[in-house]
Amino acid sequence: MGTLVLSNVARSFGEVVAVRDVSFSVPPGSTLGLLGPNGAGKTTTMRMILGILIPDRGSVTWDGAPVDLRVRRRFGDLPEERGLYGKLKVREQIAYFGRLHGVPPPDDVARADAWIERLGLTEFAERPCAELSKGNQQKVQVACAALHDPELLVLDEPFSGLDPVNAETLLEALRALKAGGTSLILSSHQMWQIEDLCESFCVIADGTMRARGTLRELRAAWPTRIVEVEPVAEQLRGILDATPGARALAEADRPALAYELPADADTAALLRRLVAAGDVTRFERVDPSLRDIYLRAIGAAA
Amino acid sequence: MNTLAVVFNAEFVRRIRSRAFVAGTLIGAVSIVLIAMLPALVGGMLSSSSKKIVLAGDPALTATARTLLKRDFTVVAMVPKLDGPPSAQFLDAHDKASAVAVLARSGEGLRVTAYARDPSAFRDTFAADLAPIQIALATGAPVQRVAAHSTVPVEVHDVSGRFATASAADAAKGIAYLFVMLLYLAILLNAQSIMTSVAEEKTSRIAELLVATLDPARLLAAKILAAAATGFIQLGVWVAAGMLSGRAVTTLFARGDEAASAPLFGSLSVSSGEILAFLAFFAVGFAQYGVLYAAAASLINRTEDLGSVAGPLVVPVVLGIILAQIGLQFPNSPSVLVCSLLPLISPFVMFTRIAVSNVPAWQVVLSLAINVATAVLLAWLSGRVYRVGLLLYGRPPSIKQIVATLRA
Repeated sequence: MGTLVLSNVARSFGEVVAVRDVSFSVPPGSTLGLLGPNGAGKTTTMRMILGILIPDRGSVTWDGAPVDLRVRRRFGDLPEERGLYGKLKVREQIAYFGRLHGVPPPDDVARADAWIERLGLTEFAERPCAELSKGNQQKVQVACAALHDPELLVLDEPFSGLDPVNAETLLEALRALKAGGTSLILSSHQMWQIEDLCESFCVIADGTMRARGTLRELRAAWPTRIVEVEPVAEQLRGILDATPGARALAEADRPALAYELPADADTAALLRRLVAAGDVTRFERVDPSLRDIYLRAIGAAA
Repeated sequence: MNTLAVVFNAEFVRRIRSRAFVAGTLIGAVSIVLIAMLPALVGGMLSSSSKKIVLAGDPALTATARTLLKRDFTVVAMVPKLDGPPSAQFLDAHDKASAVAVLARSGEGLRVTAYARDPSAFRDTFAADLAPIQIALATGAPVQRVAAHSTVPVEVHDVSGRFATASAADAAKGIAYLFVMLLYLAILLNAQSIMTSVAEEKTSRIAELLVATLDPARLLAAKILAAAATGFIQLGVWVAAGMLSGRAVTTLFARGDEAASAPLFGSLSVSSGEILAFLAFFAVGFAQYGVLYAAAASLINRTEDLGSVAGPLVVPVVLGIILAQIGLQFPNSPSVLVCSLLPLISPFVMFTRIAVSNVPAWQVVLSLAINVATAVLLAWLSGRVYRVGLLLYGRPPSIKQIVATLRA
């Protein structure tokens, strides 16, 4: 198992700059969530990791050495645009991709069967892939990418097209791979799945890295703090309005006073002032969600 | 197991199992058998039905004519006189004859008036067969004597000593024609199957997965080798079908009716040198077209676009076939010699020359060397286009972009 390091990689296509400057590292066995809007440069970054595209600038290394074909064969790839041989049967297809990654026969078929069972594809094992539903094709693709127990598995939107049950099955499979020591890099628009699986995140927008770190680090770097106070009382609202830098937010699901404060605001002092002013039944400092961090990082309104 | 072997095996099995390959091979073999058998079968039937004739006129003339016409016709009846032009019923009544020939003296010669079901079929044969009567009537010489001397024995020898007789040389042309057509089919079908395979991988985005795992050049090489292997198998089946049906034609028809035996297959004899040349030119021809078709397919985004990129690549193949026809007639003309050295075209033209004439060994070696060098060059150029084209999506690249890719 090795460490993947991207250092200031950039890639253009003619006049179009897809990736301007992206750097991050993925330690052995860890999981990185790559976030960004459509066209942000996520897929290009993933393609550079996989050696499909060569960076114009910067470097991609695995354990300190450039990623060559021999290293790449130890990686797994689940591209956003799925690719399967339509006429090939499920078992043959998975075994074939296993052989391409160096799994010799008859181990290829044995492992294919294990993945078929794990992903609930047993009844489709002898069916041509073209006859499968989109979700099942997606699972076959995952098995193709993971059959050889890759050291690094790159998954571009792995949950797209999956219903909640199949998404959970896939999530379980990814957790098992992670437990086995596989490093994961995945992009997804389903933030809750990413949040559950990843230790660290990298937000890209317009080809530039906007935020990077663990969720704790990203929250710590969040420029404001949100506090929620109950009950909704005028004397409490007055104190909050008088706090320097405070900005009232729309009320949440239940009636509460929600305010955004500067990160360096003294919340303890604020709590003391509120308690002195009247009955406070709830005072909560709300951490920004991954979605909030993401939206702020890409420049959209949180 | 290296990736080349993995892809080769997968491609080979996929091709061998594909309906297109099985159907193409079987249809090809059946067509070859039919081409071999039909002339003999149909020719035999036609000849037996069109041979029967009725002679009318002076009994002395018709008796002499009967002897002279024996070679080409069966005289089923001789009548001294007709009551007007004969009808089809008259022919039916006389053993379903094909024609009635009315013989009459005309001045110092002979005049023949024929009434036939197929008017175009008799004139030349009657004129040639009955010429001794015309000469005998004009000169007074006995008909048998004139007939005995009317044909000049001509022997044509091949100065190279390759063909024992002129008919053997004719047969060689037939064989060459057949083999060039097989070459054409095998090269085109297998090159197009590579194109379809590349297009499938490109349009379904499998290419992206493959390129992440193995070198595109290896991927291309494995595909071409697999297609070549299936091509060799296909050719083997076709050649075997041709040779077996040729032997069958000889056995079935040659004894009973020599004329019905088609010289193309009846005298089919192919030397091991020719087979070797055939396989060698298939290999180099296929390698050249295979890489070109693969590169072209890597540039398309939809399988519907295959036709537009494949079209221009058919031109040299068709040109090669046309020049091979000329090569059959003039195998050693300077222009045919030049064409037999040109890449892409020469696999067809040089093989034709080898089949019908004695080509100096240096020309064969030079042609093969040029073709191998071209195949290597095309593989290199196509490999670059393929490498880039495979991951190029969206608008098809312009010629300028392709040239830029090759220069990069």
